[in-house]
Amino acid sequence: MGNQIKLDSHGEMLLGQYRKLQPTLEDLAKESYDILRHALREQGIYVTAMEYRVKTEKSLIGKLELKGAKYKSVDDITDLVGIRVITFYNDEVDKVAAIAKRVFDIDWKESVDKRKLHQLDSFGYNSLHYICRLKTGGPRFELQMRTALQHVWSTIEHDTGYKGDVKIPREYKRQFSRLAGMMELIDDEFSRLRILLTDYRRQTLALVKSGKLDDVPLSAETFRSYLELQPFDRLNRRIAAVNQAEIFAVSMMSYLPVLESLGMETLGDVQRFIDENSDDAYQLAISQLAITDLDILSSNSALQYLCLVYVLKHNGGREGLKSLFDIINGESDANEMLADLMMEQAKTQSFMQYVIQQK
Amino acid sequence: MNVRIEEIDGNMVAFLEGNLDTAAAPETEKAMNPLNDVEGKDIIIDCTALDYISSAGLRIFLGILQDAEEKEGHVYIRGINDKVRAIFAITGFSNIFEFI
Repeated sequence: MGNQIKLDSHGEMLLGQYRKLQPTLEDLAKESYDILRHALREQGIYVTAMEYRVKTEKSLIGKLELKGAKYKSVDDITDLVGIRVITFYNDEVDKVAAIAKRVFDIDWKESVDKRKLHQLDSFGYNSLHYICRLKTGGPRFELQMRTALQHVWSTIEHDTGYKGDVKIPREYKRQFSRLAGMMELIDDEFSRLRILLTDYRRQTLALVKSGKLDDVPLSAETFRSYLELQPFDRLNRRIAAVNQAEIFAVSMMSYLPVLESLGMETLGDVQRFIDENSDDAYQLAISQLAITDLDILSSNSALQYLCLVYVLKHNGGREGLKSLFDIINGESDANEMLADLMMEQAKTQSFMQYVIQQK
Repeated sequence: MNVRIEEIDGNMVAFLEGNLDTAAAPETEKAMNPLNDVEGKDIIIDCTALDYISSAGLRIFLGILQDAEEKEGHVYIRGINDKVRAIFAITGFSNIFEFI
C-alpha cells in the first residue's frame, strides 16, 4: 500500500537517503540496544520488555507524505531507529533515563518528557522520549521509556484509532480521559505499594537480625530471611557428626507449609520450636542413623526430625506422623509405612515416655 | 548390580537390579552416566528390583537430579521397596525426588 503513495521530489530524495543509510541503521539499532541492555543489567534493573526496530520503508513513506517538507535531510528524522524500554514501575522509568544519559549523548532540544506535557485537567499518553546518539557518533535514534501500564494505554489508544482522522465526540474523549486518569493512579499506587513492601521487608529483616522474632509473622518472605541466619545448621551438624556425614544443601522453603500446619504463626514460634525440640530431634535422628553407614544427609534433616518430634510430643501419634509425611512428601499410602517406621523408633525415646505418661 | 537404560514412551528409563552398595556404586555410576546428558526428556529410575541403596547410591541419584533440574527436566523414582524408601526418609531426601 505504501508503494501506491506518490511522494514529491523532496520526499523521494529523503527516501533515497534512507535506503542508503539502512545498513547503518540496522547496526545502530542492534548496538544501541546492546549497550543499554548491558548497562541496565549491570545496575540490576530488570524491565518488563525491551525492544528495538528500524523504521520500515512503508512507515517512512507514510510519514514523508504527511510531513516530508519539515525535514531538510534524512538526518533530521530522529525516529528511524527506535528503542523501547517498558518498566514495571514509574520510578524505574527515571532510573532507565538516568542510565541512558550516562551511556548515550542526549539531544535535549529534541527530547520530550510527555509525562510533563499534560494540562492540569487532562490525562493520557505518558512516556519519556529521549533523542540519543552513540558516544562514538552516528545518526540519532529515539529511546522511549514507559511503564507497562503506560504501554497498555498507548497500545489501546492506538488500536481504537483515538488519534485517527475521525473526530472523536466529546463524551468518548471524556471516557478516555477518565480511564487514562485511572491508569495513572494505578501506576502510582503500584509504585507506592512497592515502596511500602520494600520498607516492610527491611523492617522484618531488622527484627529478625535483632532477635525480636515474636513480632515477625511467619510468611514465605520472613521465613526466607530467617533461613539466612541458618537456624537449623547447628542441629544438622550435630546429626551429621554421628556418621561424619556430608550435608547436601536443598531448599528448606518446602517446610513452610509444614510449620504453618503445626500452628506456627511467628518466627518466634519457629525459634521456640527449635529451642525446645532440638535435643529430642537429635536423639530421634541418631536412633535411625547411627545403626547405618549413611554418610550423606539433606539439609532438611534437622527440620524433618524437629517436626516429627513436635508432632509426637503433641500427641499426634501415628496418624499425626502420616499427615506430616503427607505434607512433606505429598499424599501417598507409602507415608503410612514411614509413619510406622518413625513411630517404632520413637517408642524408645525418652520424650515419648513423658508423652505416654501424659496420656 | 545390573543397570539397563531404555527409551520408553519418550522417557529415559533406567532399570536397576540388585544392591546399590558402596562396592557397586562406581560401576553403577558409569552405567547411569548417559542419564546425565539427557535433554528434553524425563528420567525414570525404576527401582522395582533394587534391594538396597547406600550413600554412594544416593549421591548418584542426586547427581542425576541436579543435571536434570539444570535442564528443567524431571526425575521420577518408580517402584522403590520399603527398605529403600526408609533410607530416603531418614536422610531427609524423601521430598527432593518425585516418587511414582
